[in-house]
Amino acid sequence: MCEVETITKIAKTLGVPAGEVKLNSEKIITRTNNNNTVSGFATILNVLAQESKSEIARNSTATREIAADVYQWIEFAVLYVAPGSKDKHISHQLLRDFNKLFATKSYLVGYFITLADLAIFYAIYNLVKSLSPVEKENYLNLSRWFDHLQQRPEIRQGGQVLNFTTIYLHGWAKGTHV
Amino acid sequence: MKIYTNEGNPFGLKLQLLAKFANKPVEVIKVTLNDPASKDFLVLPILELESGLKLFSTDAVARYLFPDEGALRDEWLEWSTIKLAPALSQHLSVGHRANPDALPVLNLLVRKLDDRLADLAFLTGDKVSAADIAVWSLLAPDGTLKGAQNIEHLKAWYRKITALPEVQAVLAETPLAGLTFTSLQNSNRYGGLSHVPVRVHTASESENLLADTTGNLADTVTEDELANAQKSFVHVSLPQRVEPRTVLPKAGERNVLITSALPYVNNVPHLGNIIGCVLSADIFARYSRAAGYNTLYICGTDEYGTATENKALAENLTPKQICDKYFDLHNSIYRWFGIGFDFFGRTSSQQQTEIVQEAFHDVYNNGYIFTESVDQLLCVKCDRFLADRFVEGTCPHPGCGYEDARGDQCDKCGKLVNATELIRPRCKICNSAPVIRSSDQLFLDLPKIEPQLRVWLEGSEMGWTNNARVITRSWLREGLKPRCITRDLKWGIPVPLAGFEKKVFYVWFDAPYGYISMTKHYTSEYKQWWIPSKDVKVELFQFMAKDNVPFHSVVFPSSLLATNKGHTMVTNIMATEYLNYEDGKFSKSRGIGVFGNDAQQTGISADIWRFYLASARPEGQDSSFSWNDLAARNNSDLLNNLGNFVNRALVFCEKNFNCVVPTMTLTKDELILLALINREVRGYIHSLEKAKLRDGIRHLLSISRHGNGYMQSQQPWVLLKGTDEQKARAATIIGICANIAALLANLMLPYMPTIARTLFSQLNAKPTPLNPEKPFINILLPTGHNIGKPAPLFTKLEQSFIEELKKKFGGVQDQSNGSQPSSTTTNTNSATAKPSALPNGTQSVAQLEEAVRLQGEKVRQLKASTKDKAVWQPEVNVLLDLKKQLTAAQAAPPTAPAVVATPVASDEKVKELEQRITQQGEKVRQLKASGDASVWKPEVEILLQLKKDLATLTGAPQPAAQGKNKKKK
Repeated sequence: MCEVETITKIAKTLGVPAGEVKLNSEKIITRTNNNNTVSGFATILNVLAQESKSEIARNSTATREIAADVYQWIEFAVLYVAPGSKDKHISHQLLRDFNKLFATKSYLVGYFITLADLAIFYAIYNLVKSLSPVEKENYLNLSRWFDHLQQRPEIRQGGQVLNFTTIYLHGWAKGTHV
Repeated sequence: MKIYTNEGNPFGLKLQLLAKFANKPVEVIKVTLNDPASKDFLVLPILELESGLKLFSTDAVARYLFPDEGALRDEWLEWSTIKLAPALSQHLSVGHRANPDALPVLNLLVRKLDDRLADLAFLTGDKVSAADIAVWSLLAPDGTLKGAQNIEHLKAWYRKITALPEVQAVLAETPLAGLTFTSLQNSNRYGGLSHVPVRVHTASESENLLADTTGNLADTVTEDELANAQKSFVHVSLPQRVEPRTVLPKAGERNVLITSALPYVNNVPHLGNIIGCVLSADIFARYSRAAGYNTLYICGTDEYGTATENKALAENLTPKQICDKYFDLHNSIYRWFGIGFDFFGRTSSQQQTEIVQEAFHDVYNNGYIFTESVDQLLCVKCDRFLADRFVEGTCPHPGCGYEDARGDQCDKCGKLVNATELIRPRCKICNSAPVIRSSDQLFLDLPKIEPQLRVWLEGSEMGWTNNARVITRSWLREGLKPRCITRDLKWGIPVPLAGFEKKVFYVWFDAPYGYISMTKHYTSEYKQWWIPSKDVKVELFQFMAKDNVPFHSVVFPSSLLATNKGHTMVTNIMATEYLNYEDGKFSKSRGIGVFGNDAQQTGISADIWRFYLASARPEGQDSSFSWNDLAARNNSDLLNNLGNFVNRALVFCEKNFNCVVPTMTLTKDELILLALINREVRGYIHSLEKAKLRDGIRHLLSISRHGNGYMQSQQPWVLLKGTDEQKARAATIIGICANIAALLANLMLPYMPTIARTLFSQLNAKPTPLNPEKPFINILLPTGHNIGKPAPLFTKLEQSFIEELKKKFGGVQDQSNGSQPSSTTTNTNSATAKPSALPNGTQSVAQLEEAVRLQGEKVRQLKASTKDKAVWQPEVNVLLDLKKQLTAAQAAPPTAPAVVATPVASDEKVKELEQRITQQGEKVRQLKASGDASVWKPEVEILLQLKKDLATLTGAPQPAAQGKNKKKK
């Protein structure tokens, strides 16, 4: 998912106007709203969070520490997840790392959905989508987190629901036991 | 607070600075990601707050420590991490990680900084902010700004920051010299920042602001290396080595016997065969000779066997005549490629008969041969015993049941099959069921030799390529079985045993002995090579593609061990993987790919082919031949890098020094250059000693790259116009470059003998022996040496020319690339199909058969290459469908043409669709090559939809068929 699309989606989730989102001549993402232009993916998300009154936004900026924690995951999404998921080795490492992370927690930061989860979710979407059912099963913790997020309509926003059912024979042989 | 960082990480410095400016005491802890204690760290450095929260993003730390510096500061922070850091890290990487595109991008970024600082004291205004610290800490290590021009504002700002007391305090703890961007590779498990795309994003050319340092390579040269470079850079006159008429091994010297797998006589070799064995062996042999080893390179054609007999029947010639005809073809192809065999023989020689029969007697007398009655398949219709390859049937191995298993091997489960065990066998030629007849055959008792073979393997497999070891081990894992070594044929070596006079030896006991017999043909002293005396050590290097490994690692060594005469056994099996053609398979029948004789007609010289094939050699994994790659290699590596350097060096020498190599006075710059070159020479020698030809090329090109960089940075053309002192400098530079050119000529010799010789004549020099003991650059052209007339060595391959060739050798390419193969089968149905000489019905059946065969092959390949059923199942379905169609077609009367579809659409529309299909196909192919299924899957769907559209338009699914017909015109 490209950065423009992700920003637009996150703005919608947060219930704030996306404004004009595009890439500038340096191929850096910019957002213009009310004649105020901000550039940089993480910086834009930060501004969106300040404008928004939604629960996710409030949770993402509750304290200075939480804001810093959230920021580092947004940067991680831009610097490692998005470009890295195009590389076979890096993407496997990323999947392993996230799977390990989610073994002990439900969300990236604290006990609630934050912008960190959204940024990583959209950045890793295509990678997760390309996984086979067996691979998804290997990354069970990551799959649980992902499936949980995609069930929220304001996050999925009409996108395809990825299949995480592990009974993958079901689609082939529908039948009932007699 | 604690900072966890790895050695040399510039971001660690950033954290230290941030903490210092925030006035917080920190403890710096050096860690590595491999420590069990750091297994949960994602990215280094990490700052641990008093609360225990660990932040791995330095910008997150900056924002945490300085929360009120505004959105503008945030933008600059993010810019420094997302844009500047990856560009720096990729520019300053060393070796294959270095990204040549990073420098122009970096120049743009630096320009942006300088512009910004023209108006402002600091990045965000008149006060130092975290953004300044972030950018400064990235520019400071590795001396990025050293030698940079036209960025006075940035430099002033840089000095201002450096002078700040906080900065000085941190630098006292952590000196800049210890920091380097290469350390980022160890800062995470994703390979540093090398995966972040770095692209020039504005149309305007980027300026040259930063000095092109190609990493900090020069800084890594040690004093020892400099001293060594100086010591070795002297003129040593080595005696020219005189090759004896007959090369024989000598005691106390290195003796290298090289063989290349014997090409089967009536297969025309394609590029894959050529690089797989003969060419690889030739390059290695040329290196080995240059290194001063006693080198003998033997090869020849393998001529006996059923296939030749069949071919002879088909062409109405005797097998001997067939062999003569094809032998000449092979010979001329290899000669054109400049393969310097010491002897290129054939297995149909008298010597072969003598050697094989003698070996048989030895093995027989030693008790390793036994007789057994064998059930053989006799095809009554064809009136002959069927060789393994001519029977197909269902695989007998439990759980496999593959229908198209061959008589010797099942392509699905990979296990060996006995032809008689096939369920429902059928003759491959006439498709009728053969009957079983029994006759006595001789067997080589491999189980009896196995213990000896295992002992031998233990001690010898170290020098083998990995695939050779793996294949051999998998053979041994199941235990060896006796192998039948005779056949009921006429074309072969008669078995010298009473009762077996009518039989001949099978390839297993025939072809490998060709190496010995050809050596015997070369010299009557062949035993010195093959059964050397105790004090002579012969190393045997055998080059082959991986399918030939079992012959050379199990069967032939076993026979030699059974002979027990102290034969030279293989010390190095050099097995390659397969070379594909533009991601498909070479196929003679489909006209896909470049075959030996085609290469000559392209007009591209043999040396370019040799260079390209060696650089695309499938070492370690399959590789692909690609026309674009060939052109790119020629234009960038040979023409722009190697050729450009050599030519510039020599032309300067000619124009300014009247063809005389000037006096050289070495300064530190030269010594660094020579030290760097010595590294590459050492790498080259190490690679070629192990026959790693690709790596050899890499080192070779690195040398000329160093040379180019040196010339570019020294600019002798400027110096030549200067003072006497500067002119003397220029003289040194030109002298050094001419000597590097001479070194390159020597290193090129194994790969491109003809071009190297041209270069030698331009240098007016002779090849110098390589010295593997002391792989250093010497003075090859002393001061006062007269060079000859320089001329360009390489020419550019234009894209249009390459496109032409691509088309010419692409065959019916559409078919091999994802389009439905069923399309060919309905060829005759198409309204636009060309009328054929054959009646419609027969053609359709023939084509169906062809399609079934091709699809079968594809399925077999797929099944062999992957276990993923999802991949091959659709292809199997296609195959079954095809077979059904074939049965139907065969049942139908031959004269009844298939339903002719009426042309329902205008030709233009069809053409346009075809055009789009071709384009989309190209796109899909490219995307697939780059991996990532999520990217190409949608494109494939578009392609399929287009094809469907076309099918509805023309009334028949047939895009590929049209392509085929067009090409036939």
